[in-house]
Amino acid sequence: MKIDLERIEKLAVLRLDESEKESIAKDLEEIISYFENLKEVDTTGVEPMVYGEKIELVLREDVVKDGLTIKDLERLRELFGDGYFKVKRIIGE
Amino acid sequence: MEITELGIAEVVSKIKSKELKAKEVVESYLKNIDKLDKDIQAFLSVSSDYAVKKAEEIDESDNKVGKLLGVPIAIKDNISVKDFELTAGSKILKGYIAPYDATVTEKIKNEGAIIIGKTNLDEFAMGSSTENSAFFKTKNPVNLEYVPGGSSGGSAASVRAKEALVALGSDTGGSVRQPASFCGVVGLKPTYGRVSRYGLVAFGSSLDVIGPIGRSVADVARLLSVISGFDPHDSTTANVPTGNFEEYLTGDIKGKRIGVIKEIRDFSIQEEISDAFSSALKVFENNGVEIVEISLPHLKYALSVYYLIAPSEASANLARYDGIRYGFEGSGENLRDFYEDSRTKGFGKEVKRRILIGTFALSEGYYDEYYLKASKVRRLIFEEFKKAFDDCDAILTPTTPTTAFKFGAKATPLEMYLSDVFTIPVNLAYLPAVSVPFGYDKTGLPIGLQVIGKWFSEGELLNFAYVLEEESNV
Amino acid sequence: MYKPTIGLEIHIQLSTKSKMFCSCSTEFGDPPNTHVCPVCLGLPGALPVINKEAVKYGIKLAHALNLNINLASTFYRKNYFYPDLPKGYQITQYSLPLGFEGFLEIPMEGKVKKIRIERGHIEEDSGKSIHIGDITESEYSFIDFNRSGVPLMEIVTYPDFESGDEAYEFLTLLRSIVRYLGVSSGDMEKGALRCDVNVSVSKDENRGTKVEIKNLNSFRSVKRAIDFEVERQVKALENGERIVRETRHFDEKEGTTKPMRVKEELNDYRYFPEPDLPPLVLSKDYVDELKKEIPELPHKKAIRYIETYGLQEDYARTIAYNKKYADYFENIVSAVSHPKEVANFFLVNILGILNKIGLDIEDLSFGVDSFKELFSYLDSGQISTNIAKSVIEESVETKKSVKEIIESKGLIQVTDENYLREVIIKVINNNPTPVSQYLSGKKQVFGFLVGQAMKELKGKGKPELVNKILNEELSKLEGGNV
Repeated sequence: MKIDLERIEKLAVLRLDESEKESIAKDLEEIISYFENLKEVDTTGVEPMVYGEKIELVLREDVVKDGLTIKDLERLRELFGDGYFKVKRIIGE
Repeated sequence: MEITELGIAEVVSKIKSKELKAKEVVESYLKNIDKLDKDIQAFLSVSSDYAVKKAEEIDESDNKVGKLLGVPIAIKDNISVKDFELTAGSKILKGYIAPYDATVTEKIKNEGAIIIGKTNLDEFAMGSSTENSAFFKTKNPVNLEYVPGGSSGGSAASVRAKEALVALGSDTGGSVRQPASFCGVVGLKPTYGRVSRYGLVAFGSSLDVIGPIGRSVADVARLLSVISGFDPHDSTTANVPTGNFEEYLTGDIKGKRIGVIKEIRDFSIQEEISDAFSSALKVFENNGVEIVEISLPHLKYALSVYYLIAPSEASANLARYDGIRYGFEGSGENLRDFYEDSRTKGFGKEVKRRILIGTFALSEGYYDEYYLKASKVRRLIFEEFKKAFDDCDAILTPTTPTTAFKFGAKATPLEMYLSDVFTIPVNLAYLPAVSVPFGYDKTGLPIGLQVIGKWFSEGELLNFAYVLEEESNV
Repeated sequence: MYKPTIGLEIHIQLSTKSKMFCSCSTEFGDPPNTHVCPVCLGLPGALPVINKEAVKYGIKLAHALNLNINLASTFYRKNYFYPDLPKGYQITQYSLPLGFEGFLEIPMEGKVKKIRIERGHIEEDSGKSIHIGDITESEYSFIDFNRSGVPLMEIVTYPDFESGDEAYEFLTLLRSIVRYLGVSSGDMEKGALRCDVNVSVSKDENRGTKVEIKNLNSFRSVKRAIDFEVERQVKALENGERIVRETRHFDEKEGTTKPMRVKEELNDYRYFPEPDLPPLVLSKDYVDELKKEIPELPHKKAIRYIETYGLQEDYARTIAYNKKYADYFENIVSAVSHPKEVANFFLVNILGILNKIGLDIEDLSFGVDSFKELFSYLDSGQISTNIAKSVIEESVETKKSVKEIIESKGLIQVTDENYLREVIIKVINNNPTPVSQYLSGKKQVFGFLVGQAMKELKGKGKPELVNKILNEELSKLEGGNV
């Protein structure tokens, strides 16, 4: 089946270059047509399955605990000003 | 006997009795790494200074406690170890130093284990051969021209090559069992919810499980005992009692029933593996086990279900890699360009493919037909297993349809995916399963057989594996 | 005639101590990125765990809004890219929200306006981006993740509003409710309450094109934005133009709405159930127990004040919408009754003084005993209402008792009719010209004469008696005897 690769790239925030585009498009089409076999399965009245067996609800008490320090963060990324992450301007604000 | 020949129980008891020094143990393993890893390349990083220091601390202390005291352990590089690099086999995380320990890391540290290094993997655990690592390829220690399997190829290879006594890997569609099978070691995928995922780089959230890889069923059982347990940091862990899984290894399985899946006949399986499978059934029969035929009619859809659900979850799990707070920083004129550059340059081809598949399957207009449909078929597969376990206590299958293949052998992604046919349904149904080495093929490559157990029955499951292991060691 | 159709989408920060899915503090105003951890920063391997208290707050708010509670609601991932969204998705609720199909009945303008509420669900907040420097000069934005992960309750109304005023009243009531429940500060200035608006107009039952308005910083802005937008759309349609379906932002300074500069990106959020969180399953007993904990809510109180005490609507609302005021008021009234007077004295005099001297109602010592004293003087006619007001103000300010003030200042009204008559006759005799003006028809001079009498009495004449006696004496004169 034909896939709108550009639209998916946009949503996934990936920019394939021309050389990759064709081969990936082909791979995707091959893989997705393989999935067509699911169409033959009758799933009327079947609930989707997301969670495992014996998974019960776990709720956390409303207690504050220490997290990461500014020093921890600086090991990940340089901080600016009073301790902000910097990013290219968000347009439209 | 060579120190690196000893199993976990022996190493630990000898260190406790001071017959052995932890430092001697660590140094023996480091020596092996030094000698072998330039060829095998199981490790992305080796923490020799750290390991030696930890060993010395153990030796200096009078308080010798811990189920894994002095045990050199290798950790797949998608499991967080504080202050160690965590790459997930990807350029996008190269240089990222984890600021916290995964729960499993904390647990093994508390039992005195010594982390000897982080092992290679397929990027973000997406792959079945470790060929997708952004850094280099790991070789199968049994024959360097062959892949070690994946995605926990580095962990399995390190155990096989005696570069570590035991290892941790992760299994989303077979990533612990398949490389264990290819490398001829024992690999267990616990029940989903048995082991905490906190600190595991997420791939397929409803499928991922951390699992132990070792040279023996007993070693795997002990490591499992340490890492298991409800974790308040992970809402998907189950509140079930754990305990000492080694206690289950009695070798007595009389009166149990082993299921054989009727539909396996529809798959083409390498001849030696079929033969091994038949031999194993005989071993079980000789041990007083009844062989029962069970049916899983929807087994043939498992691959489609998996390759829709896993990438969908992955596409969301990998959205956090945007270059802003950590990891690879791209460049760009504006925010959008920056995002695209960071991710496009940081991710490898297979990862990109899966993100795109996942994004597609969740997108407007396709969600019902693909992701939702797959989730429904998943329930059918789950229910079929449930029913099958009314008639048997465990199920035997080959771990993989073939033994290890050569590098570059799988021409298309789909071909690669097809090698996971027997392992994938287990993840879909949240079940535990173990791969046990059971002989070699004509070219000398290891054969692995998979035993699948009921939910949260790892003790019983390992006992079945133990019986096979005893037999294959003869 | 064009009819406006207006709906609100409101986000309320729940004032739990820790965040929705992790144990970081929700404290506002601290240095950037000092309340973060692997979970709310989106580090590899982090997992969410639900805050029990946030769920409780959400349920209580849902009850107050008459929402039906889903005993099994699920969390979903809403996927999009934005720098303040660390995971690249927000954990929210989608097809099975915590609460659905509720309403709020707002007392306003003598009626009760019912606004239906479509849903209320819990989710996590994102971080905050700030821009240092001029919009044109700085090419960077700066992100603070302290807010990332703070629990939110999202409330979506049906488009039942017909004016900016109604929206204003709704938000005022909602803020009061969350404060009553103690689930949020409701402070729009601190970002604890955020509101987006959807506006359309049409001549018939078909709804017009919907325009979304964002960036509203106060309840007043909401009202102004709605009023402007309705007018803008009506004018445009009357001009034969079409309304573009778009998102606009409100310009505070100009009081107008303008199209947002950013192009509407693909809005495919690819919702799917959050695999890291099992369904939020609640027991009916637990949910019912929480319902019992809901106090009498402000709008119900206001209506009760109007109906039972005869308070005027704006007084009733002002007192009822502020729990501290309501508690104070009810405490006083249950002891001394006189609800209308108490309301008046409280709102006009007491609050006036508190404001002036910069104190809070917590610091107020003018309570039941003070009012008891006051009314005993007032009811027996010993002081007038005007005197009472000044006594109250002085008592609040100086903390002296009512009795002390009245007696030390000799404020008791003169009610001795004989004495009053003497004074009034004296005044009449001393003011022949005004008196003859009055007698010849200039009735307004009466006030002047009253004033003169009061001056003589140093303000302590009981006004009704002064009037009565002055009237009597002047009538005698009218009778024609000089």
